[in-house]
Amino acid sequence: MRKKEYFADSEEASLLYREEFRDMKTEEPEVAPSPEKDKFEIIGKSTSRIDGEKIVTGRAPYTHDIKLRGMLYGKILRSPHACAEVISMDISQVQSLPGVKAAIQLKKGRVTYAGEQVAAVAAVDEKTAEQALKLIKVEYKSLPFAVTEEKAMEEGAPQVRKRPNVQKFNEYTRGNIDKGFKEADFVLENTYKTAVEIHHPAETHGSVAKWEGERLTVWDSTQAIFGVRDGLARALKIPASRIKVIKHYMGGGFGSKLGINDYTVAAAMLAKQANKPVKIILSRRENSLCVGNRPSSLQTIKGGVKKDGTLTALYLKNYTSGGIGRGDYCSEPVVDLYKCPNVQVEEHSVFTNTGASRPTRAPGHVQGTFALEGFLEELANKINLDPLELRKKNYSTKNQGDKETPYSSKGLNKCYQLGAEKIGWKRRNKRPGEGNGKVRRGLGVASQIWWGVGRAGTQADVKLHPDGSVEAICGTQDIGCGTRTYMATITAETLGLRPKDVTVKIGNTEYPWCGGSGGSTTTPSVAPAIRDAALKAADYLKKMAAEKLKAKPDEINITKGKFSNKNDPVQSIGYKKLIEELRKERKFRREKVFHGEYVGRPSGFAYNTFGAHFAEVEVDVETGKVKVLKVVGVHEIGRLINKITAESQIIGGITQGVSTALFEERIMDNTTGNVANPNFRDYKIATSLDIPEITPLIVDTVDPRINNLGAKGLGEPPRIPPAGAIANAVYNAIGVHVREIPMTPDKVLQALKRKEVD
Amino acid sequence: MEKTKKKKRKTFTRRDFLKGFGGGALSAAVVPQLLAHDIDSLRTKKGNIPLFSKKQISLTVNEKKFSLVVEPAETLLHVLREKLNLTGTKTMCARGECGGCTVLLDGNPVYSCLYLAVRADGKKITTIEGLATKEKLHPVQQAFIEKDGYQCGFCTPGFIISSVALLNKNNNPTLEETKNALSGNLCRCGNYSRIHEAVAAASKNMRRA
Amino acid sequence: MTNFKIAEPQTIDQVTSLTIDKKDKYKLMAGGTDLLAEIKDEIIEPEVVVDLKSIPDLSYIKKEKNGVRIGALTSLARLAEDTLIKNEYPALHEAANSVASPQLRNMGTAGGNLCQRPRCWYYRDPQVKCRKKGGGRCFAFRGKNKYHAILGGGLCYIVHPSDLAPALIALDAEISINSPKGNTTIPLTNFYTLPKINVRKENILAPNEVLREIKIPLIKKEEKSTYSKFIERGTWDFAIVSAAVKGTVSGGIFRDITIVLGGVAPVPWRLTKAENIIKGKKITEDLVRKATREALKEAKPLEENGYKKELAEIVLYRAVLSLL
Repeated sequence: MRKKEYFADSEEASLLYREEFRDMKTEEPEVAPSPEKDKFEIIGKSTSRIDGEKIVTGRAPYTHDIKLRGMLYGKILRSPHACAEVISMDISQVQSLPGVKAAIQLKKGRVTYAGEQVAAVAAVDEKTAEQALKLIKVEYKSLPFAVTEEKAMEEGAPQVRKRPNVQKFNEYTRGNIDKGFKEADFVLENTYKTAVEIHHPAETHGSVAKWEGERLTVWDSTQAIFGVRDGLARALKIPASRIKVIKHYMGGGFGSKLGINDYTVAAAMLAKQANKPVKIILSRRENSLCVGNRPSSLQTIKGGVKKDGTLTALYLKNYTSGGIGRGDYCSEPVVDLYKCPNVQVEEHSVFTNTGASRPTRAPGHVQGTFALEGFLEELANKINLDPLELRKKNYSTKNQGDKETPYSSKGLNKCYQLGAEKIGWKRRNKRPGEGNGKVRRGLGVASQIWWGVGRAGTQADVKLHPDGSVEAICGTQDIGCGTRTYMATITAETLGLRPKDVTVKIGNTEYPWCGGSGGSTTTPSVAPAIRDAALKAADYLKKMAAEKLKAKPDEINITKGKFSNKNDPVQSIGYKKLIEELRKERKFRREKVFHGEYVGRPSGFAYNTFGAHFAEVEVDVETGKVKVLKVVGVHEIGRLINKITAESQIIGGITQGVSTALFEERIMDNTTGNVANPNFRDYKIATSLDIPEITPLIVDTVDPRINNLGAKGLGEPPRIPPAGAIANAVYNAIGVHVREIPMTPDKVLQALKRKEVD
Repeated sequence: MEKTKKKKRKTFTRRDFLKGFGGGALSAAVVPQLLAHDIDSLRTKKGNIPLFSKKQISLTVNEKKFSLVVEPAETLLHVLREKLNLTGTKTMCARGECGGCTVLLDGNPVYSCLYLAVRADGKKITTIEGLATKEKLHPVQQAFIEKDGYQCGFCTPGFIISSVALLNKNNNPTLEETKNALSGNLCRCGNYSRIHEAVAAASKNMRRA
Repeated sequence: MTNFKIAEPQTIDQVTSLTIDKKDKYKLMAGGTDLLAEIKDEIIEPEVVVDLKSIPDLSYIKKEKNGVRIGALTSLARLAEDTLIKNEYPALHEAANSVASPQLRNMGTAGGNLCQRPRCWYYRDPQVKCRKKGGGRCFAFRGKNKYHAILGGGLCYIVHPSDLAPALIALDAEISINSPKGNTTIPLTNFYTLPKINVRKENILAPNEVLREIKIPLIKKEEKSTYSKFIERGTWDFAIVSAAVKGTVSGGIFRDITIVLGGVAPVPWRLTKAENIIKGKKITEDLVRKATREALKEAKPLEENGYKKELAEIVLYRAVLSLL
């Protein structure tokens, strides 16, 4: 079986990501939404998660927890070589082991990274499956490889793919860069480096596949149930209509679970062969090798600025490595974040013999923002300007990268103001590194731009039952952001109920269609669709209530479980009572389904999300150890739907950002061709004791036209600025910019030496 | 309607399992017989050392007694999840590097992924499933809901167990003490500060009660 | 995890009577936290795991007239919480408290901590057969060696991962070993061996020998000690550099001082040269730094771990000054 048949390779996946999750165009809506006038009672306040009890009692079923009668356990044999030819494979020996029920060969020809799957088995238990893998005889001819960017870029390096190891994939120009440099009073050039990160969701990747005749049901730890369904249909060459994908709960994905996976296909094939359900759960080590990563970057920025802080030119050259995948577009912050007339970028892939990258929470922007914001910090210092002022000076009201389109809403200025107040921006060192002593403090800022629009075609149902109960249904998935809860909140708000009165059903491809949960698209897709459905249900109920209250439907108000006459509020009827009477009158005897959809937003506007983070750090200049003391994260995301879960998103983004800034790096070994740190011992992520005091803030705005709620997405935005803000705070503390993340003590010490040289 | 659907379903869900659990059907179903050859001994000059390739053990899990036969290489985590179907305890790294599988063993938090089931013989184990009563959540569970002390929820059982262990010993921990007590649990969504708030809130409620 | 049988001895003598006829047939298990991780990763594949916890009375902390005796199976948590240790042997208290995480301290034991295997990522990679695993080369030498040894390397560049070891050596601890040849008590410092002695092992213990007890002499008048561990993360990390210091100090002068570094060499590394420079002189930051530099002159950093030498100087001077 050839990969191409069903997997989008990394390039395709990346393009797909851009289309599917980011710069999505929609058709013009017939009626432009105007959400600004709406006043809400529940929306915008804090609602505890409706599934909280299930989670805290351990009863929430994750894919890891699925257990079916007769279920087998699948394991995958992976290439130990970074590059090799599979000369021959013999899987026949596995049958001699009692308990083995299926075995398949998955690879012929060349393997291009250590960890690529070559065969799979299914057995009655995990132990037997593991033993069976050892009975598979594979003869490899190992070939030269390049697993690091440095090696791959060397002249005469082993070729990773059927094309040069370094290949340009993106360029962009506006204005005239040389003219821009000429107009500048100062020109600066620096190079910034970011490491490959691994997503490492808490729940490792996994699937359970079960056939009933020609019908396939798959339980998958995924961010995209429909993506998995359609991918399986392509891979197995069966109609999508015969496949059902279920995801009740999932333990995080951060972009690594956005589509079909090779192990899911393997599970389905094994299940078919064994005629029994098969469960494949990957190990932590496998998670480090073969289910995606955030590409590295090596970014050189050259920029020109006038004495007053006006940017005249920005040039970026980026080398990014996503293993056998293409790498990330890191240039978008340079193109879009600040006003600059002359911009030029070129981006190159560096192919290495490592697993393909996948979108990782704010792909490209985490790397690009670290570089751009660090560069601006140094530029501000060059012209002796407050770095926050430099950012305000180059504030852009149009999306210059998107044909100078005006932003539908942009609250970044408010973010600057709120954040600066909250962190006490005036306390910063006026000159970087001006403090004394062995432990020095500093403050830094970084801003952010992201998309966060909805996907047209997202559908949802609100179902009213004659017994008074209500369902909100959508084929979306809650990946930890609180999707279930806001579906209940919006339905309840619209129908005058309490969130707990609404039963939410998600995570099943038999429900109305919804796209994958990535790119900060879920809320701006699902929320308007469910609002649309609920509004239709409300219209029906208003009509019925109007008859009872002898009023016109548009005179009916719904609030706090009651329908009342606007002009005569004493005239009212409760929700339950209304339904009961309708039932008795035989007007409402069957369930009623109201179908909602998110259709799109007006063209002519750029829809983006913005935010600014302010960090305070402490640096031990003798040991090079950085401690992040405080981060204030302020975001503009249109209308806030659920305060408490939105704040958690910001807190999580900041914590992950701290981890990116200080610890996370996948380390490849050029001799073995393997990941040196495929575990949580050596791949270090932030713990309870590493996190700063975090203040999440949300600027109060409503986008006037993006959808019927005026809400944008928040998944990615808070993940973007922390590393830049922290690096800038380190610069402010020690007077030298550590231009490489993670800023481990060795790198900080090295940077401090540079200062001695300067 | 929902009910008939459930009955028809052939799959063996957790809920179905738990029904059986109450009826005591479990022990009969999963305890295989220990065979004579499973117990051997290593002969030494100083007497024979018992040697097991399988061993009968009894555990008290969430105040229920279980008697079962395990292989030496089975971890407590495996037994909890696969044999007792207590899947609230999670496998995140299986190497004692993340805290997802934390349970209380005689009151102390341990990583069940690195704890052999044979060693748990005669011990008292508390998992996430054993904290709430039928009527009431444990104050720590309640506080996690109120403070949004989770996102994806996968690491949550481990965090709650570690939090309960802390509050059992110290009912009024400082933030620093809380951070230290939870330093053996990783939350990849990064919600630590909310978790710390939840512990503070639970501590307050427990002291008041 | 590969299957094994479990043996449950009742006495240490039974363990020492086991005949070792095949390599890796028996593995002794204390807390099991390291052993099981190694078995899971297929670094070792023992046929029999000998559970030392089935032997009664190996967990204790007792103060007697000659010193303090610590049973090998005493948990790290108990060691970290013990008030006697905390008050009289702060270095040991701090070392025990700095190990891994609360859960691992509940599971891990004092003896296990002393006998644990290295965390070198090549050693721990099941696909790599390095010298320590019977292969022909040390992959760290020209490989990724940021966390590796700057001292005492050569055939193999692991660092000894134990936190207790440097602290206990600084405290002049001895260990009692039960062996088929009889029982011996030796200074802990003699327990550890460099790769050039036997590259497959880090200490002198044979597979059927048991580290039974740790003995620390009573503290002298004006004796102070400390253990300082530098790690990348805020917690739950192996030492990049750690320093255990014990001495009798008054008036800013050490009458005697013992310094042991962790995380820099395949064994806990005593800095006798630095001790001699510091002894009897008025302590200043400069003096300690100079002494460390002098003592670390023989260090041979690899490509990526030169910073450890700088860090050792800082960690050590801070530790020494903290005792004044």
